[in-house]
Amino acid sequence: MIELKNDSLVFSFPEVHPSATLKLHFQRTLRIPDDDSTYPLPPGLGQFPLRHVDDFGGQVPAQWIEHGGVMFPMYQSEAMWICFDSEYDDDREVSYPFAVKIATGKVSAVSGETWKNGVNRDPQDYVVVPEQPWLDGYCVEKGVIRQFVAMPLGAGYTAEEQVTGKAEHGGLQILAYPMKRSVYEELFPKVSERVYQRNMGVSEELSYCAEAPADMGLAPGGRMKQEIYEDSYRLSDWDLKNSSRCFVHIANSMVWRSITGENPPTTPPTSSEYATAGLPWFEWYDDKNNALPGADPLTGMKSVATIGKEKGDVPLPENASVNPGNVVTLRKDLKPGQVREWTETADRP
Amino acid sequence: MRNAFGAYLRKRREELLGDSPEYSIRKVAAKIGVQPSYISKVEREEVAPPSEATIIRWAETLNEDPDVLLALAGKVSADLRDAIVKRPKVFAELIRELKDAPDHALLRVVREVRDGNW
Repeated sequence: MIELKNDSLVFSFPEVHPSATLKLHFQRTLRIPDDDSTYPLPPGLGQFPLRHVDDFGGQVPAQWIEHGGVMFPMYQSEAMWICFDSEYDDDREVSYPFAVKIATGKVSAVSGETWKNGVNRDPQDYVVVPEQPWLDGYCVEKGVIRQFVAMPLGAGYTAEEQVTGKAEHGGLQILAYPMKRSVYEELFPKVSERVYQRNMGVSEELSYCAEAPADMGLAPGGRMKQEIYEDSYRLSDWDLKNSSRCFVHIANSMVWRSITGENPPTTPPTSSEYATAGLPWFEWYDDKNNALPGADPLTGMKSVATIGKEKGDVPLPENASVNPGNVVTLRKDLKPGQVREWTETADRP
Repeated sequence: MRNAFGAYLRKRREELLGDSPEYSIRKVAAKIGVQPSYISKVEREEVAPPSEATIIRWAETLNEDPDVLLALAGKVSADLRDAIVKRPKVFAELIRELKDAPDHALLRVVREVRDGNW
């Protein structure tokens, strides 16, 4: 079951486990320069508004209604990242694990493969939550992603067009699988049971294993340091009989008001303005998990700036290189759902 | 229903007054923006319940749910009224269908994000 609450998608699986709930939202952010330098993580600047497409049946393309799902507005060349937050189970002191597939234009942002229902291990085409707190872009190298940047579908920039040669789907596609209840309860016993097992000589390892509106797509922007982690569980640990999926349409912000009657968020500051103001950028380390290598179809993609240059086009205004001087390092003991932003970092671990 | 409204407000205010002098008739009247005598009259049910806006301010002052106070006053908030007027048939059917359902069943009535063909 998926609900839309406070601009977040809430995937819940009460039939699997009372704690099997995953929240996901889309954060506004700076577009990092697309200049082949590798930048740290930019901040979160607030959530994009999310709306049911069904509420605007007369104003959105018929194909959006056929797809169902939700929509949010992005300006051309605006960037975005995805924030994952699975429910924290106090009894077990762990967040419920999920395998989450993320595709743009039905091309996996992790493996570069075209969309298939189900999850694939080789190559891995999903992220594991809560190990993966955020996803900012396409996995192009081990430890490096290319930022999600909105571009008009059909202009030749999107990952979908670069990988499949077609501009058919646009938007984002999300599919979530919870961990099997039996596996979860075995891997993460209740704290009270853990003490009991310890006393009984059971290994402590058990406690942690570890017009019509313009349809937008996402394209690979600048390079950023971000690891996408290898699944440390077995494929059979995921409950593949229970899943929920959602099509997330991206509407050009220029037409958002005519669709919804609401103003879209204002444009974020440029990277240059942000860096000049001395505001923080972020790095995230998790030495317990291995990073996936870049996916071949994604590694071969050209960035928006490169394609623009080839076309004699200027798709990214304000693309000057910057020097992010103030870099804050975040580590694994984030608060559940912590967003990397100035206010949150004031009391960061 | 009207009786329940005035008596409820009085009982609630007097409970709060036991813990804090901020809930005297005079101070509550100042927060809501009415005369103290009006508070007394409403609590004693000598006058009809006030307007929706006043009831909402009253609810804020006494830390009560505005929808509950509006219901006790026999009123429905403007946003709910608008929603019903916009789609009267759907909401009339829904409310009649669910009026006797237990709370736990009502809480399960949520709007899901619809998945289509893609």
